[in-house]
Amino acid sequence: MPSNADMPNGDRLSRRDFLSLTTRGLLSLSGLLGLGGLIRFLSYRPDPAPPAQFDLGLAANYPPGSRTELADARALLIHTPNGFVAYSTICPHLGCRVQPADDGFKCPCHGSRFDRQGAVLNGPAARPLRILRVEEQADGHLILHTD
Amino acid sequence: MALTPTLTGQPEYCLTCHADLPEISPSHPVETFGCVKCHGGERLALDADLAHSTMRGGQNPSDFSVVEASCGGSDCHSGSAGQDRDHIHRVMTSVQATYAGAIAGVRYAFGAQPDQTARLGIFAIDDAQVTTSTGLTSLAAFDPATETAPPVIAFAQNCLNCHLAADPLPGADYARFTGCAACHTPTAGMDFQPNAPTIHRLTTAIPYTQCNTCHNRGNYSLRDMQFHPRTDLYGRSIERPDDRLQDYYQPIGQFTKCEWELDCVDCHTRGEAMGDGDIHSHKLEIQYVQCRTCHGTLAESPLTRTIADPNDVALRLAFLNPVLDLKVGDTIMVTEKGEALWNVRQRPGGRFEMVGKATGARYTVPLVKGSACTQKLDQQESRYCHECHAVQR
Repeated sequence: MPSNADMPNGDRLSRRDFLSLTTRGLLSLSGLLGLGGLIRFLSYRPDPAPPAQFDLGLAANYPPGSRTELADARALLIHTPNGFVAYSTICPHLGCRVQPADDGFKCPCHGSRFDRQGAVLNGPAARPLRILRVEEQADGHLILHTD
Repeated sequence: MALTPTLTGQPEYCLTCHADLPEISPSHPVETFGCVKCHGGERLALDADLAHSTMRGGQNPSDFSVVEASCGGSDCHSGSAGQDRDHIHRVMTSVQATYAGAIAGVRYAFGAQPDQTARLGIFAIDDAQVTTSTGLTSLAAFDPATETAPPVIAFAQNCLNCHLAADPLPGADYARFTGCAACHTPTAGMDFQPNAPTIHRLTTAIPYTQCNTCHNRGNYSLRDMQFHPRTDLYGRSIERPDDRLQDYYQPIGQFTKCEWELDCVDCHTRGEAMGDGDIHSHKLEIQYVQCRTCHGTLAESPLTRTIADPNDVALRLAFLNPVLDLKVGDTIMVTEKGEALWNVRQRPGGRFEMVGKATGARYTVPLVKGSACTQKLDQQESRYCHECHAVQR
């Protein structure tokens, strides 16, 4: 194996060139890694916010007097003689899902009870159930707004 | 696996690894609370070390060092006293947490303070609203380094294992968490080693075995300032029904052997066990339920209250531990301070029925009035009652 002293000058990689090449290589590598991280960061998409409106289908599917639990929307849709009314089934105390009861609604977590109009019968909830907007569109579809 | 709890509305990925954990209690459903609300942690991290890096209290977010951040909030456990939602304040000021009574007693006994009024607690604490005649406004932190009496120093070294902020003594008999979970997470009998699989449960149905992790495993001797485990327990005695009589509460040897089928929480109220919101110098300032509270005297029947308000705290407590279906209109016993003994209800015909909070067992409560009891009206301490009423007699 020839020593450096035996190699022609044109084939020799000087120490300076070696260090320079290595430095550039490492800088390029770290730049690529950084760029990859930046692309990943910029392309991050947070989970979409939960929908604020729900197409409930045709109003005719909800006959007068019906009480329909809408699990996805966390709401109860009631077809009253005066039209459609929807209550949020999220307890205003801490957010548990209230359940229909004989006299209205009850919270399975902490025992709050609400009457059929969502008013507080007993705490710990201090506020009534939220009434949600129900819109009947020209095509007969009901749209529930939960925002 | 992403979960967006209703309470926070912020997605968290904890269930990716922890989907097998049981719900901690019906009052804290995971779909509502999620994990991060109570435990802290990095909600979006999928790397275990990163996800756990900012958890509060390790496995126990109810440790007093972090309890306000974990369990507090006006709708949760640091609300107002009027709404009975001041749980954190009550427990932090209780003698079980401050250990103020033991500290004051030992310091007084060995000349470090002139009387038994508490001045020091395990931690410094203030109480802006004193409501009882024995309540104190503040305690400074007990600092053994400033003590000069050798017995007090030995007490600090050897006898501070039972207050709610202290890690327990090693061994399954003493196994408990700190903070709220010391009582509300049933750990008695667990092999409670660091980093061992833990228990994910909160309950108000607290069995006597949980109380025993502090109250019945031995005594602290003032002679040598050492803890002396009971020697009359054979092996690992807890959680064995046949041991209940032997294993039952033995405060410094004065075991009643009377109500041994009950659990401590069946008689002792939440105010006694968890504090009344005031800082006290001695447990006798807070512990007041006696035999007569439920059994009355020859002259008086026990005190009662008919539930009229649907917001009555008795209904809330019965809801959280539904061993009986308590309703508006029911008559329950109350203590002389007005605390609800919500598990003792009057039944048709007038008899009183107690339901075990941890066992669900039902007992008819015998009344002294109208019985053949020969008690003297001025002798109502339990020692007088136990002259006749003990398991041996």
